Amino acid sequence: MMVIDRRKALLFGSATALRLLLFFAFPSLPDLLTGRVEISTPVTSFKRLQEGLFLYTHNVSPYDGGVFHQAPLLLSLFALIPSSLFSPLTSLLYIALDLLCTNALIQIAESREAGSSRLFTSPRKELKWDSIAIGAAYLFNPFTIATCIGRPISVFTNCAILHAIAKAVSGKPMSSILALGLASYLSLYPILLLPPLILLCYDRQARDKKETPPISTFAIKYTSLFFATKVWFLYISNILTGGSWEFISSTYSVQLLLPDLTPNMGLWWYFFIEIFDSFREFFLGIFWLHLGGYVGGLCIRIRRQPLFIITTLLGIFAIFKPYPSLSDTSLYFAMLPLYRHLFPLMRYTFFALATILYATLLGPAFYYLWIYAGSGNANFFYAITLVWSLGLSEIVADSLFAVLRDEWEVERPEMKGKDVRQI
Amino acid sequence: MALISPTVLALRRDPRLLKLPPYLSALLILVGVVWLCLLPLNEYSRHTYISENALLPGQVHTYFGGSEQNVFNAYKYEVKELAGKPQDEISNKLGEIFKSAGLRSARQKYEYQAAGFTYTGENVYAILHAPRGDATEAIVLVAAWTNMDGELNQNGVALILELARYFKRWSLWSKDIIILITADSRAGPQAWVDAYHDEHIFPSVAPLPIKSGALQGVVVVDNALDHHFESIHIVYDGINGQLPNLDLFNTAVSVASGQLGMRVALQRMWKHDDSYRERLQTMLRGMVRQGFGHSSGPHSSFIPYHVDAITLQAVGEGGQDDMAMGRCIESIFRSLNNLLEHFHQSFFFYLLMQADRFVSIGTYLPSAMLVAVNFTIMAIALWIRSGRPPAPKLATTMPEKSSKPEVDVIQNDGMTAIVPKETITILERQMFVPVSLVVSLHFLGVISLFIFNNSAFETLPYYFLLFTMVNLVLPTALATFIHHQASLTPQQYLLFHSFSLLLLGMFLATLATLNFSLSLFVGLLSAPLSFIGNPFSGSVEPKDVFPSQLRKTASTIALQLVSPPVVVSAVCYFWGINIGEMLAEAAFGWKVNGLWTQVIVWCVWWPAWLAGSVLVSPAL
Repeated sequence: MMVIDRRKALLFGSATALRLLLFFAFPSLPDLLTGRVEISTPVTSFKRLQEGLFLYTHNVSPYDGGVFHQAPLLLSLFALIPSSLFSPLTSLLYIALDLLCTNALIQIAESREAGSSRLFTSPRKELKWDSIAIGAAYLFNPFTIATCIGRPISVFTNCAILHAIAKAVSGKPMSSILALGLASYLSLYPILLLPPLILLCYDRQARDKKETPPISTFAIKYTSLFFATKVWFLYISNILTGGSWEFISSTYSVQLLLPDLTPNMGLWWYFFIEIFDSFREFFLGIFWLHLGGYVGGLCIRIRRQPLFIITTLLGIFAIFKPYPSLSDTSLYFAMLPLYRHLFPLMRYTFFALATILYATLLGPAFYYLWIYAGSGNANFFYAITLVWSLGLSEIVADSLFAVLRDEWEVERPEMKGKDVRQI
Repeated sequence: MALISPTVLALRRDPRLLKLPPYLSALLILVGVVWLCLLPLNEYSRHTYISENALLPGQVHTYFGGSEQNVFNAYKYEVKELAGKPQDEISNKLGEIFKSAGLRSARQKYEYQAAGFTYTGENVYAILHAPRGDATEAIVLVAAWTNMDGELNQNGVALILELARYFKRWSLWSKDIIILITADSRAGPQAWVDAYHDEHIFPSVAPLPIKSGALQGVVVVDNALDHHFESIHIVYDGINGQLPNLDLFNTAVSVASGQLGMRVALQRMWKHDDSYRERLQTMLRGMVRQGFGHSSGPHSSFIPYHVDAITLQAVGEGGQDDMAMGRCIESIFRSLNNLLEHFHQSFFFYLLMQADRFVSIGTYLPSAMLVAVNFTIMAIALWIRSGRPPAPKLATTMPEKSSKPEVDVIQNDGMTAIVPKETITILERQMFVPVSLVVSLHFLGVISLFIFNNSAFETLPYYFLLFTMVNLVLPTALATFIHHQASLTPQQYLLFHSFSLLLLGMFLATLATLNFSLSLFVGLLSAPLSFIGNPFSGSVEPKDVFPSQLRKTASTIALQLVSPPVVVSAVCYFWGINIGEMLAEAAFGWKVNGLWTQVIVWCVWWPAWLAGSVLVSPAL
């Protein structure tokens, strides 16, 4: 029999109660949040999912109209929900997803991977938060709650990513890679997490077992597994959509080529609205290269802490991916508390958080001025997305500084507590 | 980077820098106020001008007059006859008149409930289909049956009935013209414009049976005088301080004063002699109205839908007759008819200080922003201060070697400095208690918001009285509670203050972009919050952080003087308004017009004030 931790039960219970209250006591809230550009992007919007579902259940290809950009598996999942109970059951589904995410997060926290990996043990590792507190920080983060109520499908992706990490740190590379396969099947970008995830799996396995295969064979094995998973998912989708490959172009190429320029919190839409068409391909390449470029650099520089590579990459995705939303930020903020021991080394947390809070308030205000009041324009909102991204990148850069500093102090204990200086 | 960073690093540790923020904050508030007072000067304000060239105001000859006068008198007689009759009879008669003019008319019933009152009525409107248009755009001519003061708008209604008949004869309209007669000045227009955009509350507000295209502009006529008028009073404030495009206002001014030679007044400044004083007074009156954000006429309800609207009100006793008002509206409508695009050229954010002088957002926004920034600066200063370790205990009588403060040798590009260790080490901050306190105080405001928006008129004054009483003791009670539950450490005390100010600064900066005046007023009223505690001390010793008893008492009294209920009562006393009526008005605005000034009062201002008061209240 499973022993249920009382504190965990309390946490899950209160988080569920809060979400149920928001869902059912304020019936207009889910619709309001679903329509917010900060939460729903063209590739994750719940409204578009409903539209696709309607077409799908009426035997029209949802990928025909250019509105629906989500994976076919989701369609068959949501098609299982009886339409008379659609809205309460989806609410419960999203609450359950949040709890699953938290469960995975608690596993990650309990593995202590953040404080000491195979190759590196932080001198500050005793400074940490309890796993329940980390779970609570995720479940009661207003961004997470807003995401849950707004029901974008990115919650599925987040859940898959968190499970991939949780499986990796508990020494189950196979399930971890399967989960990542699902995540990257649902939305393309998690494919970039594959290298650090393989590193993480390898480190965990090498630590637990005496003899380990060389990393190259390990990497080849799991990379092939990853792609096999992807192909398998695609094949199933092909069957589900009646033997058509149409879905590939309206799901993955939308994420790659950015045809839908609906405003969001990211940096891409405005740039690609303004740009001359002849440069479009070039800059698409540049933007993707920029996003992908971090993977290699981080894997080399912080090789000793693969979990931190993943955390930082999640932060970078939340800033630089094509259609970012609040749910990406909430995922990054879910992982950050694992690095409690780095907080004393971070220098600009207050300013970064104040910037983010400012942007959180000003963003909706400027969007309102632009879209509803008509007294502002697109530049207002874009300026705020820049500020938002600035705040997030401050945190990413500052945490990177902190982790490098932490590693450096192990190498040079005499420099502990002294200022670093640029030479 | 390499060049600046040592300087910046050295500056960062300069103890003088940490002493600076309170002075800087005070300076910012001062500059903000002075800035505002400079705005009416010629150097800072600008002459109004028409941005949208398509409008061509006053360029057409107006033909309204002559025999129209007789028809107008007949309509006026009809309207007078209808006064006091049941709504159904009025609507029937108005419908008949529209029909006789050859227009399709329709009606809309509505019913609102707010503060225990029921507001019912029926709007009657007719649509004149544009001979040269395709029904995609419309302009609206409105007259409310009773004006804002509750008087019968006899001339206004008769005039628009006559104008409907007159406009019908012209073949030059390229936009549909909607002639709307609302039953009152606040609920009726709101019901109509809500229903026009399918945003109405069904079934208490009926949908509109016939509609036209997108609304491009609205002109409201208000003339309840039974004699000739002297000047035209233009009312332009929308709900929540939103304003119509300045071009519409300019068009009306240019037509009335330029073409027809009428005097134009605004913000109830009947005698404007263009002095600094009068300009400042006009501007401040405009700001007060904007700050309250309530409906100031039938036009107010249109503005949140991004439909630019103004009210033309006839005031004073003079030589202008109703035909002149008619010509004025005819000319404005000819200009609106010329519009090629929705109003967008000119300013949406402006302060008017005279019919032909204004300041735009770029010039005035800094004053509210400076006031908002002062809170942020103090928040940052308190945050930095909260991270400093307490000074080592120095034995003052017997200096010993061991009690020497620890020092660090810092080298920056060849420069060496010896700095006491305490100034560079940063303590871990215990943030949970302060954050929860600030967040829960802000949620506490929701209770008052709910009570004041959902109570009946008779009980509102009592609730207010009760609230004022509770508010007197609440800070002490909360301080006592916190003292017994989790006595705040100096650091938590500073952080609590810091987060509260940070949030206030953030809210006000955001608000300044939506409703400048409200943000400025709340900012100025909350300014004392920056300076409570011991702002001028940089130390984190308990004796320096926690204010002394004397100081606590003085600050508590000072804060109670600027507490929200006291300020509200003072405002009501000053303008001679009954508190109950004002609260009922606010509840009406919340329920009907979508007014959110209350949210700012209860969920931004009051929590910030309460946090400050808790900090300085003596715990029992």
